[in-house]
Amino acid sequence: MIAWLLESVQAVADYPALTEDEFRRLCEYLYRQSGMIFTEAKRYYVERRVNERMAATGSQTFASYFARLRINAEEENEHFVNALTVNETYFYREEHQLTCLTTDLLAERVRDKRAGDAIRIWSVPCSTGEEPFSVAIWLLENWPWVDNYEIEIVGSDIDTRVLEHARQGVFGKRSLMRLSSDLVEKYFSPMADEKWRILGELLNSVQFSTANIVESSETRGFGRFDVIFCRNVLIYFDDASRRVAAENLYENLLPGGFICLGHTESMSRISPLFEVRQFPDAIVYQRPPASPTRG
Amino acid sequence: MIDDASLVRLYYRSTLEAARFKVEEAMNGIEALEKLLEKPVDLLIVDVNMPQMDGFTFLGLLRQKDMAIASIPALITSTESGQKDFEAGRAAGANYYLVKPISPETLIEFASLLCGLRL
Repeated sequence: MIAWLLESVQAVADYPALTEDEFRRLCEYLYRQSGMIFTEAKRYYVERRVNERMAATGSQTFASYFARLRINAEEENEHFVNALTVNETYFYREEHQLTCLTTDLLAERVRDKRAGDAIRIWSVPCSTGEEPFSVAIWLLENWPWVDNYEIEIVGSDIDTRVLEHARQGVFGKRSLMRLSSDLVEKYFSPMADEKWRILGELLNSVQFSTANIVESSETRGFGRFDVIFCRNVLIYFDDASRRVAAENLYENLLPGGFICLGHTESMSRISPLFEVRQFPDAIVYQRPPASPTRG
Repeated sequence: MIDDASLVRLYYRSTLEAARFKVEEAMNGIEALEKLLEKPVDLLIVDVNMPQMDGFTFLGLLRQKDMAIASIPALITSTESGQKDFEAGRAAGANYYLVKPISPETLIEFASLLCGLRL
């Protein structure tokens, strides 16, 4: 992960460092918006994320980027916070994709399935587990056919430390910030020190395993899925690795299966294998139905 | 509640608990038999397709026991909806057979009925 991160950092144009005043104003703004506290010790990290977002938005100066952030142009607040929290995640992140999952994607996927058939969903990378557990909770809350199919949710990551965390099923306040208090009460039990433990049934509903999506020898063993969530990881790869990852993920999809990327990412720029599907809540990429297996 | 799928157990359990039922869980027929010998219940909600011991086998074995737990009312829940499945459920000693997907309202209605809460 670190190597990919460095490549992406080098690809970002070299903007001048922030002045003390600019850094302080940005940190105050961030604290007010998200509750996240960044000190001088994190300056380098924050500056790099600012530079990435300045490049992505075509902002020439920090002042113009900061103005954009403050008026939340094109949801820049969320883009920036996401850029800052790349190794952290939270429940119900990018909720619109979960809406799309239950309103459109699964409706298509079950069209040719019988009651009792498997529905396989893969969250990769799954980091500390918030995403696959979010899928499970979302299905319980929003999909009335949850007992009509054999739902299999797999969470994979290259980083064994985050997987260990995921298997514990213990989460802090920040992870749960998007969940209503009703959902937290329903699916978690409170522990000491503002931590919450996810219910045993939810913990058992996700299988965690290591996977490196640029290694086909690793991804092949996972079989084929109906839906893959692969969010905010391809942006860290160079073009060649990105293509390899896209081809691997294609092989991990059932014909007609869907892949959801992060909302700043586009598969069209990476690989021609997928069809773009525009649903009301999200843009999703699809392995064409009944397409021949490659290679 | 006897079902091998943890999401389904949670779905039914949270539905029933919201209607003030107390719910115990088992992942298959063997675990259910062990738990019942320790602590009897008022109603069994039994899935059919489970590893190690399916729902029909479990219920058939339970009904043959010369013990009070043999007559606990049982609601079969299954994705199978063929006539032969219904007959197998009846033969195993089920009191009712619900085909999945089961809405929260239906689950509460039949659980209440079989517990004698709405007679």
